[in-house]
Amino acid sequence: MASVAERIYLRRRIVNGISLALSGAATVFGLFWLVWILWTTVSKGIDAFGLHLFTQMTPPPGEVSGGLANALFGSLLMSLLAIAMATPIGIAAGTYLAEYANHRKLGETIRFINDILLSAPSIVLGLFVYTLVVEPLGGFSGWSGAIALGFIVLPVVVRTTDEMLRLVPGTMREAALSLGVPQWKVNVQVLYRAALPGIVTGVLLALARISGETAPLLFTALNNQYWSTDLTEPMASIPVVIFQFAMSPYEYWNSLAWAGAFIVTIFVLITSLAARAILLRNKMSND
Amino acid sequence: MTSMQIKFSSAVPAAATNLSASKAKLAARNLGFYYGDFQALKDINLEVPDKRVTALIGPSGCGKSTLLRIFNRIYSIYPKMRAEGEVILDGENILDKSYSLNKLRSKIGMVFQKPVPFPMSIYNNVAYGIGHYEKLPRAEMDVRVEEALTQAALWDEVKDKLNQSALGLSGGQQQRLCIARAIALKPEVLLFDEPTSALDPIATGKIEQLIAELKQHFTILIVTHNMQQAARCSDFTAFMYLGELVEHGVTGTIFTKPTKQQTEDYITGRFG
Repeated sequence: MASVAERIYLRRRIVNGISLALSGAATVFGLFWLVWILWTTVSKGIDAFGLHLFTQMTPPPGEVSGGLANALFGSLLMSLLAIAMATPIGIAAGTYLAEYANHRKLGETIRFINDILLSAPSIVLGLFVYTLVVEPLGGFSGWSGAIALGFIVLPVVVRTTDEMLRLVPGTMREAALSLGVPQWKVNVQVLYRAALPGIVTGVLLALARISGETAPLLFTALNNQYWSTDLTEPMASIPVVIFQFAMSPYEYWNSLAWAGAFIVTIFVLITSLAARAILLRNKMSND
Repeated sequence: MTSMQIKFSSAVPAAATNLSASKAKLAARNLGFYYGDFQALKDINLEVPDKRVTALIGPSGCGKSTLLRIFNRIYSIYPKMRAEGEVILDGENILDKSYSLNKLRSKIGMVFQKPVPFPMSIYNNVAYGIGHYEKLPRAEMDVRVEEALTQAALWDEVKDKLNQSALGLSGGQQQRLCIARAIALKPEVLLFDEPTSALDPIATGKIEQLIAELKQHFTILIVTHNMQQAARCSDFTAFMYLGELVEHGVTGTIFTKPTKQQTEDYITGRFG
């Protein structure tokens, strides 16, 4: 009896060892490439890094001085505009899904379509905005770039708002409603408060995502070699500059592309860390 | 008939030992309830005596929580649920479409199974509901909040941290905060839906003691799975089974000399 038990135990330990080794190897394999990519970006980016990136404009071909100031400004402006336009609409739509259309056919359908939009290739959204905004207005512009990015942000905000509100226990709604407070006040004063950290996290992650989007901007904002704050004119952005400069034969352009990649990576890193910090802080105060 | 050691609520006044002699505050008449096509309640007729504690007992799924949730029409936020019949509060049918929800919910407060403080400060949790009905200057609001917290036996524990988040309180304190939040509106009826099932025995004891004190001011209806709890803190008990009201009477009688076989089987633990 004892020997059978020991044999089974031995077998289990061997199987356990093998699975552990296999999953460990898979992790190392995945991490290896990730670290390599990060290492290349950081090392090449730091070589090209300097204050001039933030003060000088993108140089014309062949020149060996210049920075990314116009592209950084363009990226920041268009991303923030996209967030500013899409967040209120997204929160309103997410609230509708979670609070008014939950468990209803219409709500389920909209949720499904939103999920499709969420995973739609960004180049499709770029093309959509091209035909919807760029063509009728007769030219590339910062506005159309911001709108294209907004279309990427929108489904993310809808989804997070919807999910975060549905995570709020139903009894909290009932408790607030049973005080006689009307539904819209319950949404704004109680449920948003409970769901806020999650919604902010979703917005931050959306910001991180659009800061690296290239395809939708190629069709909409195009690029601009000069400093421009005019949203009706073509506007430079970091991802498009990276795309243009990295493919060029000019060495200085290449190094600027790496610097741009480095800046975007750091930005995404900081945004994601901020998002995690918000969630974590909220989790601790709830425990 | 039963060997259970049951301590009955000693506060039942002699005059209330008879159900028909007591004045009804709230009454269900021929009340039915449907979840879609499923009929969860059948022809319920129940009189809830004024300023007394009435316990609703019965096995899971018998409809006691459903019944409680009709009394403040909280069921109406969900689709496909519908009630028929009448619920009379002070002579008016609250199920009537023209009966204002605002008025209903200011008269009938509810405390839920799990304590659900709002994600705001202790003070604001109590002030939130009041602010919806009355615009009070800060000083008056302070008085109302203190009154409610005192009545809920929580004031001494929280008076020095009113501005801290209510989420930092213990489960029992959170539940008393929820009671304070409900009584802050000065309702006439309080509905308790298994208010202690998520609490430890000490916190449960405090809530039960509180319920005994609150019945001086409020008509109380409490759903409980715990029969000792029903025996300890209620004056009247209604036993429900499969969506029907089987028996309703003075708690002491229900627990010692029930007239229906089903009640006796349930109370003696033969099923449920």
